[in-house]
Amino acid sequence: MNKSTYLIPIVVVALVGALSSIFIVDEREKALVLQFGRVVAVKEDPGLAFKLPLIQEVVRYDDRILSRDVDPIEITPSDDRRLVVDAFARYRITDVEAFREAVGVGGIRTAEIQLDRILRSQLRAVLGSVSSNDILSTDRQTLMDRIGNASRIEGRQLGLEIIDVRLKRTDLPAQNLDATFARMRAEREREAADEIARGEEAAQRIRAQADRTVVELVSDSTRQAEIIRGEADARRNNIFAQAFGQDPEFFEFYRSLTAYTRALQGNNSTMVLSPDSEFFDYLKADTGRQ
Amino acid sequence: MAGNNGGPWGGGGGSGGGDDDRGGNRGGGGRRPNGNGDGPQIPEIDELVKKGQEQLRVLMGGKGGGGNGRGPLGGSGGPIFTKGTVGLAALAAVGLWVYASLYTVRPEEQSVELLFGEYVATGSSGLNFAPWPVVRAEVIPVTTERTVDIGTGRGQAADAGLMLTGDENIIDIDFQVSWNISDPRAFLFNLRDPEQSIRAVAESAMREIVAQSELAPILNRDREAIAQRLEELIQSTLDSYQSGVAILRVNFDRADPPEEVIDAFREVQAAEQERDRLQSQADAYANRVLAGARGESAQLLEEAEAYRAQVVNEAEGEASRFVAVLGEYENAPEVTRKRLYLETMETVLGGLDKIIVDDNIGGGGEGGGQGVIPFLPINELRRGGGTN
Repeated sequence: MNKSTYLIPIVVVALVGALSSIFIVDEREKALVLQFGRVVAVKEDPGLAFKLPLIQEVVRYDDRILSRDVDPIEITPSDDRRLVVDAFARYRITDVEAFREAVGVGGIRTAEIQLDRILRSQLRAVLGSVSSNDILSTDRQTLMDRIGNASRIEGRQLGLEIIDVRLKRTDLPAQNLDATFARMRAEREREAADEIARGEEAAQRIRAQADRTVVELVSDSTRQAEIIRGEADARRNNIFAQAFGQDPEFFEFYRSLTAYTRALQGNNSTMVLSPDSEFFDYLKADTGRQ
Repeated sequence: MAGNNGGPWGGGGGSGGGDDDRGGNRGGGGRRPNGNGDGPQIPEIDELVKKGQEQLRVLMGGKGGGGNGRGPLGGSGGPIFTKGTVGLAALAAVGLWVYASLYTVRPEEQSVELLFGEYVATGSSGLNFAPWPVVRAEVIPVTTERTVDIGTGRGQAADAGLMLTGDENIIDIDFQVSWNISDPRAFLFNLRDPEQSIRAVAESAMREIVAQSELAPILNRDREAIAQRLEELIQSTLDSYQSGVAILRVNFDRADPPEEVIDAFREVQAAEQERDRLQSQADAYANRVLAGARGESAQLLEEAEAYRAQVVNEAEGEASRFVAVLGEYENAPEVTRKRLYLETMETVLGGLDKIIVDDNIGGGGEGGGQGVIPFLPINELRRGGGTN
C-alpha cells in the first residue's frame, strides 16, 4: 500500500550490497581477493576495487618497506674468535600471492619468523667464512651485500623482496668484555709509562746538553784566559829582557840586592857573620881592607 | 583538527577510524568499518538528503501521531515540510559537507591527498579542499626538525653506545641525528616505520664507520670527518629506500672510552702533561746553568785580561826603574855600586838578628868559624835578641 514500506528495506539491502562489493586499496597496501580461500584477484595498485559480496573476501598486505631486526646472535668467524652480531633487514612484499601461499593466515608474523631464520643462517654462513678482521674492516659493506644477496634468493620464495641487510652490532661477547677492557687499560698504561719515560729521556738529554755546553763554554774561556796570561808573561819576559839586557853584570848585582832585601825581610832570620866580610872592612880599620 | 576535517583518518568514519590503518596492515579486513561510514554516502548527495527527509518524517510522524495509524498521518504530515525547510536542510547538509572537505595546512606542514586510497596530489600550506569522502588528506609536519638519539641511556653492556673499533678497542658513542621530511609522499608510503628505520640505519652506519676506524682518531681528530661520513652514509642508505627523509645533521654528543677504562685514558693525559712538565723543568735547568756558564766564562776572560794588564804594567814599571838606576850607575859606576851595596846591607842587616863570630876565636885557621857555628845555641840567642 505504501511505497516507503518497501523502499526502505530495498535501499538498505542495496546499500549493504554496494558497501560489501566496493573496497578501497590504499597507497600503502596491496590486496588479495579470495573466493572461498582461493585467490581470484590481486590488487596491486591503489584505488577503488570491486568484489562479490559475501562469497569473496579481501586480504590486505602492507606495500611499504618493512623492517626486521634480528636478535643478536653469536657467530664464530674463521679465526675462531667469537663475535656478537645483529642485523636488520629492509624488505617489501612483492608477490602477494606467493606470500600468502608461503605464510598462510599467519601473515606478517609468520613471515618475520621465516625471515629471521633466513637471516640468521646467512649471517652465520657468510660471517663464519671470513676472519673477524675482515668483519671489522672496509670489507664490511661487501659482506653485508653478500648476506643481502644470499637472503634475497631465499626471500623470493616467500614472495618478499629483501632490499638490503645491514649489520648493526659486531661486538665482542659480554664475557670477553672484561678481558678487552683489561687490555685497553694495559695499553693505556703502557702509553702513559711511555710518555713519562720519554719525558724523562728528553729532560735528561736537555740537562746533559746543558751540562756539556757549560763545560764547553767554561773550558773555552779558560783556554782563552790561558792564552791571554801566556801572552802577558811573554810580554813581561820581553820587557825584562830588553831592560836587563843592557848590562847583564849590573843586572845581576842589582837584582841580587833586591832579592836580598825581599828575601831577608822580617825579623825571623838570624845571620852568623864573620868580621872578615867586606861589609865590616871599616869596622876593623879606617883604611879598610888593604 | 585534521580528524574534524575529514583528514588523515577519514573523520566521518567514526571513532574506529584511528585504529583502522594498523588493523588493515595486519588482518586485512579492518578497513571495512571505515567503508561502512563512507560507503552509503558515496552514490548521490540528493539521495542522502532524500533519505534524511524520509527518516525525519518517520520520526516526526511517530512522535506527533502517537498511537494512531501511520498512513493518514504520514500523508497529512507531508505539508509540514515546506519547500523552505527542505532547502534549509539541504543548505545545512552542503555546509556540513564543505566544512568536512576543507582542511588547513600550516606553514611547516604539507598534505598528501588520496583519491580512493590512491595518491593524487600534494597540498601546500593554506586552505585546501579535499571533497569528502572521496578524497582523503593526510597532513604531516614536513620542515619540523626531529631528532633521534642513539647510544644514550646505556644500561646494559649490550646496549647501543658501546662499539667495537677496527683495532678491537671499545668506544662509547652517543650521537643525535636530526632529520625532517623532504618528500611527504615517499615518507608516508614507502616506509612503514620511518623513525625506527632512521635509528637502525644510523646505528648501523655508525658501527660500520667505527669498525673501520681505529680508536685514537675517533677520540680526537677525526670526529668532524666521521660526522660528515656518517651523515652521507645515513642519507644514501635512506635514499636507497626512497624514504623521503632528509638528514639535516649529525651531532656527536660523546665519543669516549668506556667508563671501565676511562681512568687509564685520563692517566695517559696526565702522563702527557707530566712529560711536558719534565721537559720544562729540564729546560729551566738548562737555562739556569747556561747563564751561569756564560757568566763564569766572562769572569775567566776578564780575570785573564786583568792579569795581563797587571803583569805587563808591573814588568814595565820594574824595567823602567832598572833602566833609570842603570843610567845613574853608568855615570859613576864605582860609587853607585858601593852605595847600593851598603844601602842594601844596611836595610837587610838592620832587620836581622846578627851573630858575628871571629874566625880567629876557636882557632884553627881558615875553617875555624865553621867549627864553632854548630855549637851556638842559636834559638836561645834569638829569643834573647827578640826580647831586647
